[in-house]
Amino acid sequence: MNNTLKHIIRLIVLLLLQGLLINNLHFLGVFHPYIYILCLLFLPSSLPRWVELLIGAAVGLVMDAICSTAGVHMAACVAVSYFRPLMISRLVQDVNRIGSQICSSTLGDWQFTTLSGIMIILHHTLVMLLEAWSVAHLGWLIMSILLSSLMTFVLVFLYDRTQR
Amino acid sequence: MKNLLQFIMQHSCLLLFILLEVLAFLLISTNQSYSRSTILTSSNQLIADVNATGDDIVSYFRLRKDNEQLSEQISRLQEQVQSLENALEPLKENADTTAYKYAHLNYQVIPAKVIDLSTDQEHNYLTLNKGKRDSIEVGMGVVCSQGVVGVVSRVNERFALVVPLIHTGINQSARIKKNGQIGFTSWQGHDYRHINLAEIARHIMVEEGDSVITSGLTSTFPEGIMIGVVEKARLDEGDSYYNIRMRLTTDFRKLHYVQVLRNTAKNEIDELMVDE
Repeated sequence: MNNTLKHIIRLIVLLLLQGLLINNLHFLGVFHPYIYILCLLFLPSSLPRWVELLIGAAVGLVMDAICSTAGVHMAACVAVSYFRPLMISRLVQDVNRIGSQICSSTLGDWQFTTLSGIMIILHHTLVMLLEAWSVAHLGWLIMSILLSSLMTFVLVFLYDRTQR
Repeated sequence: MKNLLQFIMQHSCLLLFILLEVLAFLLISTNQSYSRSTILTSSNQLIADVNATGDDIVSYFRLRKDNEQLSEQISRLQEQVQSLENALEPLKENADTTAYKYAHLNYQVIPAKVIDLSTDQEHNYLTLNKGKRDSIEVGMGVVCSQGVVGVVSRVNERFALVVPLIHTGINQSARIKKNGQIGFTSWQGHDYRHINLAEIARHIMVEEGDSVITSGLTSTFPEGIMIGVVEKARLDEGDSYYNIRMRLTTDFRKLHYVQVLRNTAKNEIDELMVDE
């Protein structure tokens, strides 16, 4: 119960932070970190997969409403929710051993870095490609995706450290 | 039948995933045009309320700057009034000024505040704190003290969603002030400071520094509101139209107070169109 509450509060705080603060900061016009994805990354692995998919879709829809980008965040978040459990079972031999908590201390440093890195790049690539809806400025787009992913990753990494 | 059920059970996650993705893509493709659905944009009542509260907090930190801007604008207006009065003085005695007056009386100005805006996307938007109950309607023009901002695309009771000039789906009729040539603006994305001017034919003289204003051909904006200044005008061999890049006079990242223009003669003009 306590844990569920923690997840919900973290989700609300992250959505507000993303919508009110981070979306209004303009880091040179290239950095668009989407740190709300953190709440999807840290979801317990004991969740049934269909629940995780629905949570992903709902979080994405709320973010779409905030950013006025109907469907874009939803598509990206659903993809993250679908591939995350698959990746976790790939990275960890014995899923039961790690318990439901997902962070670097339960998964291992290297495994957690790989998981969050790939998920963040997947999410940012989908969001920015779908938002632009064209590949006209491909070089610029790729740079923006990489730099934004890096920034999100650093923030996720720092948050993970505070959880130890 | 049994096999089918078994298949569905086995792949329920994959199927749900595909279903949700298809839904998301349906949403994206139906919202590619700039008239987006109200629920999923920042003119959504709840989201707009949250944004308005956020803006209330932030605006205290901006008070000083806003004050400076306002007083600057007042002094500029005073100067303008003075120079216009000076210019009017010799005309008063003989000229018939009624025609001039009427041309300018058609627009009513509704002041509004920007509570949310984006400048980094291809489909940018801004949200205003005025809506239907302040008699704002879809299609009205929005300007600020520096120049044209955009066009209202959605309204609900208390808020309005504006599509700015820096949106890849909007074209605004524009005129080069010096020679009266008419073209339209088009935005290519990414750079919120610059916009292109299309459809200016090659025989026309265009120079760096020429002012570009609204044409007055649409009922959205009166003629003569600043849009931008020509920064580069390129004419390649074989091109029949210029490639014109202009610097927008409106700084979209600093937008705070704007004015919505209500054309009081719009209905009469529309009526004429229908009768034709």
